[in-house]
This record gives sequence, structure tokens and C-alpha cells, in this order.
Amino acid sequence: MEHRHLLPDEIDQLLDGEAGFGVAPLIAHIEACPACRAELAEARQVVNALERLPHFAVSPTFADKVMSQVQVFEPWHVTALDTVKQWVPTSKPARALALATTSVLALVISVLTVWMAVRLDAFLFFFELASQRARAALFDAVGGAIANAFGSAAVDALRAGGMTAALGVTGFLALIVVAAVGLRALVGTARRRRT
Amino acid sequence: MAPSLDLANLPDADVVTLAQQGREAAFRELLRRYERPVFSLIFRMVRDREISEDLAQDTFIKVLNHIDKYRPEFKLSSWLFKIANNVAIDHLRKRQLDTVSIDGSPHASSAAEIEATSFDLAARQESALDEMEARELGNAIERAIARLRPEYRSCIMLRHVEGRSYEEIAATLDLPLGTVKTYIHRARHELREALEDVKGHG
Repeated sequence: MEHRHLLPDEIDQLLDGEAGFGVAPLIAHIEACPACRAELAEARQVVNALERLPHFAVSPTFADKVMSQVQVFEPWHVTALDTVKQWVPTSKPARALALATTSVLALVISVLTVWMAVRLDAFLFFFELASQRARAALFDAVGGAIANAFGSAAVDALRAGGMTAALGVTGFLALIVVAAVGLRALVGTARRRRT
Repeated sequence: MAPSLDLANLPDADVVTLAQQGREAAFRELLRRYERPVFSLIFRMVRDREISEDLAQDTFIKVLNHIDKYRPEFKLSSWLFKIANNVAIDHLRKRQLDTVSIDGSPHASSAAEIEATSFDLAARQESALDEMEARELGNAIERAIARLRPEYRSCIMLRHVEGRSYEEIAATLDLPLGTVKTYIHRARHELREALEDVKGHG
């Protein structure tokens, strides 16, 4: 090493800042040899100039042009997760409260589901009972309205006509209500436009 | 709507995961991080701003449309630079310009062709290279890089502008490690000679 100048590969090793057993004699040589020191300094000047080269800027519309040709597909489970996350409170106490409420609700629903599965016959019985009572209440309400409007004779006629007639009258009344609400909405819109 | 995420502070791998989940903000973050390095690499290979932007766009469209195929054991930047280098080399091959020299293509057979393929700094007042005018050495090295062979150019840019290791460059460019070392050594040597010429004339 003392009797020759550094080889190009050895200069490269020093330029790249390599460490290790073989580099120490190279550094010692550089310290002792002005020619090799000058050689390394020149090579380092090139490397420094390269490392100072800037990145060029793209045009402002570059990202939009790229994104217009990129297919962004959000899977359903990501969308669902995001929706759930939106409902999660940010503060710790609120989150704990939400967790407790959700747990209680989940527990109640689970118990009810298990009970319904075990006692399906009882569930069907109660369902039938509830639907009968709802039907009776509906008939009473509709009957009362018809008796007020057309007299009790109309109610008797309907009872004699059965379910079909009852449905027909209910539909007719509903139509009148919808028409009245629709007309009112139309008049309201026209008034707002005028003002 | 996705919840707000501080994408700028996430590592590449996490941003890629979010992009794989279809979040547009993650795609845009990757673009923001790499649009300049990728464009600069291509621009220094191709030396034409408009074409370089088109090629950089192609690079990102290829990568972002296949983000689901990204393997996390590799650096995203290496994948991007690999595609960028490939599109630039393909373009140069199509144009049959092994070297885009300020003195014109080596394949030019007439004075008109030499003029058409020459790299005229004065005529590119609006080009990105104007940024270099103020710095003599920077300008000289840009001109010297333009004279290098394309394979030397990509190696030296990745090594010294992007700060990649020899191993990363070898993996990015699909070249043997020894070849990468040789290319970088030769590129440094040629650049040194070019700069010495500049100093000699100055």
C-alpha cells in the first residue's frame, strides 16, 4: 500500500464511506499521500454535486391526471367499518358508556332470541293474541269514524259485507287523506315560490 | 366517508395498506411522496418535460392500479423506481436514442438530425433545467449526466440523488450487484472527466 497509489475501486470504497477491516489502511494511505488525497477530493466533489441535485416539480394537475385513471375500489367491509367508526365517541368516558349500553342491549336481544327459540309455541301464541287485539282495535277505530261520518247503518252494512268492504273503505279514506295532504303541500310550495 | 387519518406521518407500508383498502387519500399521499423523485429520475433520463410527465403518469397509473399486488417485503419506492426506469428505457429504445446528448444523438446521420436531437439549453428557457442555471456546477453536472449511457444514468441517480444502497439498486434495476458497482464507478469517472473539461474551459 505504501508503494502504490490507491486503485479506483479503493477510492470508491472511501467515497461510499464503507467501514471495515480493509478500509483502515486506505485511510492511512490517504493521510500520507497528497496525490491520492487530491484524487479522493475530486471524486468527492462530483458526489457532493450529485447529492445536491434537486427534485424537479411536476405540473399542478399531475396528481389529478393520475387519479382520473386510477380505479379506487373501497370494499364493502371497509365502508361498513368506517360507518361504525363514525358512531364511536371520541372521549374515553363516552366510549365506556357506549360500550356498556351496547353490551346491555346485546345481552337483552340475545336473551330474547334464545327465549323465543326455546319457547316458539308461546311466542306464536302471544303473537296471535297481539295481532287479534290490534285488529279489533283497528276495526273499532274505523267503525267509529264511519259511524260519525255516515251513521251506524253504514257500519252495519260494512260488518255484513265483511273484510273486503272494510279494506275498500279504509283505502278510500286513506286516499282522501293523502290527496288533502298533497294539495296542502302544493299550495305551500306555490306560496313559497311567490314570496 | 373515511375517518380522518394523519397519513403524512405513516410509513409507506401503512399508507399502502390503506390504499389497498380503497382509500383515495392514501393514493394521493403516495403520489405526493413520490411524484417529484419519480419525475426527476425520468426527466434526467429522457430530458423532455412533457414526455417525462407522461411517463411519470404511466408509472403511477401502473403502480396504483396494481397496488393490491404489492409485496411488503420490498420497498414501495424500489418498485416505483423500477417501473419508472423501465418506462424511461422503453421510451429511449423506441426513440432509438441511446444517449441524449447536448451534441445530438450518436445515431444522427445528417446535420438536420444532429440539430433535431441536440439538447439545446438555450432553447429550453421554460424547462426545469432553468432552475440549475444559477448554479454552475449543478448545471455542468446536469449536462454531464445527459451524456451518460442510460443504464449509468439510472444507477448514478438512484445512488446519489435518491440515496439507495448498491443492493437496492441491483434489486430495483434487476442487475447483478457487480454490474451496478461497475456502472456507478464508470459513471462517476465520466462525470469527473466532464467536470474537469468544464474547469479546463473555465
